[in-house]
Amino acid sequence: MNSLLQRASRNFLWQHPWQLVLAILGIALGVAVVIAIDLAMESSLNSFNQATKVYTGSATHRIIASDGGLDEKLYSQLRVKGFSHLSPLVTGYVKLAQAEQESFKLVGIDPFIEKTLQSGWQSGQNENFSPVLFTRLMTEPNTALLSQKTAQRLHVPLNGQLSLVTRQDQQPLTVIGFLPDTNAVSEQVLAKLIITDIATAQEVLGLSGKLSSIEILLANDVSKTEAAIQSLLPGNALLLSLESQEQSLREMTRAFSINLNALGLLSLLVGMFLIYNTMTFLVMQRRRLIGSLRLLGVTRQQIFTLILSEAFFLALIGTLIGIALGVVLGQGLLQLISGTINAIYFRIDATVLTVTPFQLGKGMLLGMSVTFFAVLPPAFEATRLSPVKVMARSQLESGSRRLIKRVGFISGILIASGLAVAFLSGNSINFGLASIFLILFGFGLLTPVLTLWLMKFIERVFGRFLGVLGRLPVRMVSAEISRTGIAIAALMIAVSATIGMDLMIGSFRQTVAQWLHSSLPADLYLALPGDQMTAEKPLSDQQLKEKIAQLDGVGMVSTALQTKLLAEGELTKTTVFELAEKSKQGFIFKHNMDNSLWDRLEHQPTVIVTEPYAYHHAIRIGQKIDLKTNQGALGFEVIGINADYSGDQGHLIMSRQNYLRYWPDLGYTGIGVYARDGADLKNLESRISQLLTGQQVVKSNQAIYKASMELFEQTFTITEALRWLSAAIAFVGVFSALMALQFERTRQLGILRAIGITSRQLSVLIICETGLMGLVAGLLAIPVGFVVAYVLIFVVYQRSFGWTMAFYFDSGVLFQGIVLAFVAALLAGVLPALKMAQTHPAEALRTE
Amino acid sequence: MEKPSAISIKQLNKSYRESDQQHVIFSDLDMQVSRGEFIVLLGRSGSGKSTFLNLISGIDPPDSGKIIINGTDISALSEQDRTLFRRHHIGIVFQAYNLIPTLTVAENLLLPLELIKRLTRKDRDDVAELLDKLKLSGRLDSYPDCLSGGEQQRVAIARALIHDPSVILADEPTGNLDLDTAGQVLELLDILVKKAGKTMIMATHSQEVIGQADRVYSIKNQSLQRE
Repeated sequence: MNSLLQRASRNFLWQHPWQLVLAILGIALGVAVVIAIDLAMESSLNSFNQATKVYTGSATHRIIASDGGLDEKLYSQLRVKGFSHLSPLVTGYVKLAQAEQESFKLVGIDPFIEKTLQSGWQSGQNENFSPVLFTRLMTEPNTALLSQKTAQRLHVPLNGQLSLVTRQDQQPLTVIGFLPDTNAVSEQVLAKLIITDIATAQEVLGLSGKLSSIEILLANDVSKTEAAIQSLLPGNALLLSLESQEQSLREMTRAFSINLNALGLLSLLVGMFLIYNTMTFLVMQRRRLIGSLRLLGVTRQQIFTLILSEAFFLALIGTLIGIALGVVLGQGLLQLISGTINAIYFRIDATVLTVTPFQLGKGMLLGMSVTFFAVLPPAFEATRLSPVKVMARSQLESGSRRLIKRVGFISGILIASGLAVAFLSGNSINFGLASIFLILFGFGLLTPVLTLWLMKFIERVFGRFLGVLGRLPVRMVSAEISRTGIAIAALMIAVSATIGMDLMIGSFRQTVAQWLHSSLPADLYLALPGDQMTAEKPLSDQQLKEKIAQLDGVGMVSTALQTKLLAEGELTKTTVFELAEKSKQGFIFKHNMDNSLWDRLEHQPTVIVTEPYAYHHAIRIGQKIDLKTNQGALGFEVIGINADYSGDQGHLIMSRQNYLRYWPDLGYTGIGVYARDGADLKNLESRISQLLTGQQVVKSNQAIYKASMELFEQTFTITEALRWLSAAIAFVGVFSALMALQFERTRQLGILRAIGITSRQLSVLIICETGLMGLVAGLLAIPVGFVVAYVLIFVVYQRSFGWTMAFYFDSGVLFQGIVLAFVAALLAGVLPALKMAQTHPAEALRTE
Repeated sequence: MEKPSAISIKQLNKSYRESDQQHVIFSDLDMQVSRGEFIVLLGRSGSGKSTFLNLISGIDPPDSGKIIINGTDISALSEQDRTLFRRHHIGIVFQAYNLIPTLTVAENLLLPLELIKRLTRKDRDDVAELLDKLKLSGRLDSYPDCLSGGEQQRVAIARALIHDPSVILADEPTGNLDLDTAGQVLELLDILVKKAGKTMIMATHSQEVIGQADRVYSIKNQSLQRE
């Protein structure tokens, strides 16, 4: 019996390939987006860790220092004190004359460290690599190792020379051997890696006597050894476990990751509507079959199981396809996600998509469970179908209407809960996003009721002018609300999310633009690369500053040093300013400003913190932040909170005068030039650039503004891409619903043809109906999009990144939203309309 | 005096393909129907009665042959022109009523009128008057699914006649009705169609109807045979 039952059901599915394909597509697309985001995000973070392992081997801990680097004597001291398994590293980024557009990571290593600390290629696991090369690396000056592929790409033969672009001129490095790659990640990392010994790296990077880090392998008595090492560290150094560093990187990107995952889940939510719609269609279309089976003695339980097993089969295929699609899509998203991480958080040297069984299992579980939940309502509906009387479509619709009204009440509760969760859930990002889902889902459920009202309204107002034929599309939408309502809801959700995100991005863009305008008060800005902390840098920077100040047309100059200080045990970005009077106008304080602020910033141990820093560390004005100085820990009072959108982790701001009291002079990383009134800026820029060397550059504030806004747009590329994906799923949803609808009403449309409606008129009717559905989705999406934008701006983004921004209303976004919904629905209606127009009326009349 | 011809069918052929087999429905079929004549078509299920009505209405095109209605050879017309011809000249009554479920009773009747002209107040009054004659005046704003089978069929008849077509095609109009209701429907057709001088072809199994017909045909061996 069971196999016959299944055959009856399977045959039906085969007879409706469109529905079958669309249902599978709905599941597959939803799963694909979620999987792709997960894979790309995890791979970006893993690549970062694995890339580091290519030259740090199996180290467990790392000693790092705030800018200025570690004194190399520390390494000797640790060795003398009996610590083993230490590996000193000198790292920095360099440019080659052979490929000026690219940046290479130069890593100076000690080739003869303990084997336990060596990575695969170092320990000679690869037979193509001879450890003899290490001796040459140590004994021959200015020698380097490079990957063979890179060497070939740069046309550098073995024993050929690389030309490093340094601050002054170019420095040659002889390639004495090639690095063997061990896996995909290492291949990617090695492609941009130059290995030298410590001395060469120090010389090339201008880090004489300095180390970037010391990698340590701690196996036994970890906490005791940690404490012993800590006691030997100077004021600017920090010992941290690589695990905790990885954790902090994850923490750093947590908000970004959660927001991306939420976008993925949005696609799945839209996909869920699509699955529900298709499964409902497949059940309702078989009401006669199910009624007959019930008459033959098939139980409700068997019908329920039948529908669920069918869904299981669809979910399995859809999820498997989704996973495969997700891997492909993940490859594309990887570049976007790692690009954003590179721009906002930290540098990733390799981007290789890694797929783990756990991630695949997660995708599988997600696809199967979402399908299961989406299919439950139609499965229950199927068990309720009467065995005696096969319900007419209209009866089913009136049942649906009653259900829709009841669901309307539930949706009100969901929306209210969503708003309550949004504003009463403390600082939780997850709850913030959950509130958006509740709101979207609530409005989604409310959509059919609102659609019925809107249709009544349209008919009441325009019915007189529309005529009978004109009223038909309106009636068709409301008469088959169980179908049209779901399609409209899916489209509404996708469009409202689009409107919400557009409004949020627009508001953010305006806020950032205003902030940039005021925080770039100087006319010209010089960037003085800060990763080459040579001993001469402070003096040469000072001289450069003085030369610029003396140039004709220069009114005043300000300076900045981007460095890292140990604040509350964390390496914290700090900007050290030497402010000109005009520079002070560039600060936007989030509180009433005290007139003594600037004076206190110069003369007392005080700092200004940026808004994200204050948010993430729950800092208020008057609180103290412990900073590790060369004279020990010192509490710096927070005297201001400044708006800043340059990063989401925030940073400290300190006066140069204050800084120099406690830390060594590292020169400047930037100089701001204020031109005198009437000065020719182009001419001044050109005169300044003649004073610059190496990688120093001068840019106008306009150029920086433009570049910053481009970066802003770049960081939202991923959001844009994901948004379009969920819109695409919604489009498939509408398309699927319309195909199902046209299929169901073949006979009705056949009657219209029989009484004299031409195929063209029929197409117009169907297109009008779909256009109307799109219009309703667009109209409803406006208020919902507003609510979503509001929650995104004032709840999610603030909690995620610590930024506050103003809500900027852009009527263009609303217009675009309506057009998007309208056009998507129209396009989705074209094929069903053509199909129906081509259906022979005689055939249509024969359809049951 | 011989009445002028309303429908003239010459050398009509129709077949359809199912899988690899070609099924011939009509072969070289000829028929003349005069204006105002009432023709009854008999035949077992699947014999081609509905196909015959579909061919005359232009819903289905013939493989070859001519179908001339009121002087217009509809077999030579494009699908679009056949639809326009049907819109003006033919009214159809189906066994399953086939009212448009999303339109009210009044709107179902107004639709054929709206397809051929701009609706006026008079049209609406005519519809109300017709429904009054059919004892459906209280059902003007009801939707079809609220009506009984007999009521729906009466509305379907009214819809077939509202635009004053010269030819009425009825496909087993009483097939879904009980005996009493069927009698009422036939009486209605007699008054509104036959007595109004319209040409009607009806496919039916009803013996009652046969007695009222001017001519009775049955479909046998791919052609029409007069009973």
